[in-house]
Amino acid sequence: MAKNWSQLVRNWMTHKMDLPHDVMMDLPRITMIGQIHIYIENHQGLLAFSDSEVRLLLKQGQLLVKGQAFVIKTVLPEEILLEGKVDQVIYIND
Amino acid sequence: MKSQWIEYYSGVIKVKVSGRGVERLINRLMRDGVKVWNVKRQGTEAITFYMKYKDVNKLRAAVRTSGCKVRFLEKVGGPFLIRRLRTNSGFFTGGALFLAVLMFLSNMVWGIEIKGASPATEYQIRKHLDDMGVKKGKLQFFIGSPEAVQRELTNAIQALTWVGVELKGTTYHFQVVEKNEPEKVEYYSPRHLVAAKKAIIVDMFIEKGEPVVNVNDHVKPGQLLVSGIIPKDDGEETVPAQGEVLGKTWYKTVVELPLTSSFQVFNGNEKKKYYVKIGGFSIPVWGFGKNEYKEFEKETNETALRFLVWELPIAFVDSTFREREKVTRIYSTDEAIKKAKEMARIDIKSSLHEDAIIKGEKVLHQSIENDKVNLITHFEIIENIAEGQPIIQGDEE
Repeated sequence: MAKNWSQLVRNWMTHKMDLPHDVMMDLPRITMIGQIHIYIENHQGLLAFSDSEVRLLLKQGQLLVKGQAFVIKTVLPEEILLEGKVDQVIYIND
Repeated sequence: MKSQWIEYYSGVIKVKVSGRGVERLINRLMRDGVKVWNVKRQGTEAITFYMKYKDVNKLRAAVRTSGCKVRFLEKVGGPFLIRRLRTNSGFFTGGALFLAVLMFLSNMVWGIEIKGASPATEYQIRKHLDDMGVKKGKLQFFIGSPEAVQRELTNAIQALTWVGVELKGTTYHFQVVEKNEPEKVEYYSPRHLVAAKKAIIVDMFIEKGEPVVNVNDHVKPGQLLVSGIIPKDDGEETVPAQGEVLGKTWYKTVVELPLTSSFQVFNGNEKKKYYVKIGGFSIPVWGFGKNEYKEFEKETNETALRFLVWELPIAFVDSTFREREKVTRIYSTDEAIKKAKEMARIDIKSSLHEDAIIKGEKVLHQSIENDKVNLITHFEIIENIAEGQPIIQGDEE
């Protein structure tokens, strides 16, 4: 109940103060260049990695990227740059 | 990614990790701040990626707890390159040594060729060159310039008139001209001998021809001494007259000698400097500091380093600074007169044939004026006065 409450407050504050959502609410920022690049910031770790599927842990839930011929170009804490052919980006909420 | 080149210098490795939970390993590396790139899935249970060689200890620590197997596939970059160079160092030292030896041998004397000398003179030259240090296997640096070798050879060996020294690559070429070349057979056309100067005949050695004057005769220039026309039973025959007619002749010389004279001499103080010259830039090797001589003469010798047939732009330079001094010489009157007489004798000798003899000398006039000695000397000389005069055919006497 308390977590929901703080979430609500944050949401309200960002709306009112015009702040970027990813900073305030620990949301992932995903940048895609066509189908070939996907750049994900603010992730919490790599769960699974294969040629056709990458699963990332987020603050809330998971992010599933599906496609072909995936190569992780760079991995940094909280940042990942993925190369290949991206078909789908799916949010999984538990 | 942005600094791939910098990473290349510090060393990059390609790692293959196999086992379950490779993702966990990557997460761990990520948290430890290990930069990892180009992660690729290889089959179901293995991935490959690149990382810095520096971070390999962090990888080890991470692998120990994960239960994955690690293999290093590629090692590229600076540290590996250096290691490979070190293992192959023998090859490189061999190459460097080869160049060094080639350079060394290029600067050696490999041959001495002497042309134009008789066997005896050639032997003498070779022996003297040996003493000078010019022989096979010697370094050219220690020999000195060809000009110096030439000077020393000409001074040391009397039989030489001239010797040309040339250094071609690693071979010294000597072109020799000897003094006593075989005498050419002289051929004369029929001639008379006439007097060249006014003289009193002292002696005569006639090889061919008919003498027409006697000893103690006084002759004038152009007077017939030996006739080339010999009377025979049937008429006469013309021959080239040959022989020596020694006559007493007279000369007068005038010598003027200042009592005080000043000239430059070296006083023996010298300073040597050595340089290595690369291109137009000289680096001092030995002999530092400025020379404190007020007046000096500088002599510079430059020996270029050679490589095979080429001269490299690297040269050894040694320069010598010799101190010069001004010396004033003052003769006393007696000394000056003595010196003037000597000079007169030298003067007369230089103008005569080398066979001529000074029979007597007499001072005609001697005075000291304006710090100068004036000396007029009269010389009595005995010399060959005969001179050839061709007989023109059909000319009757």
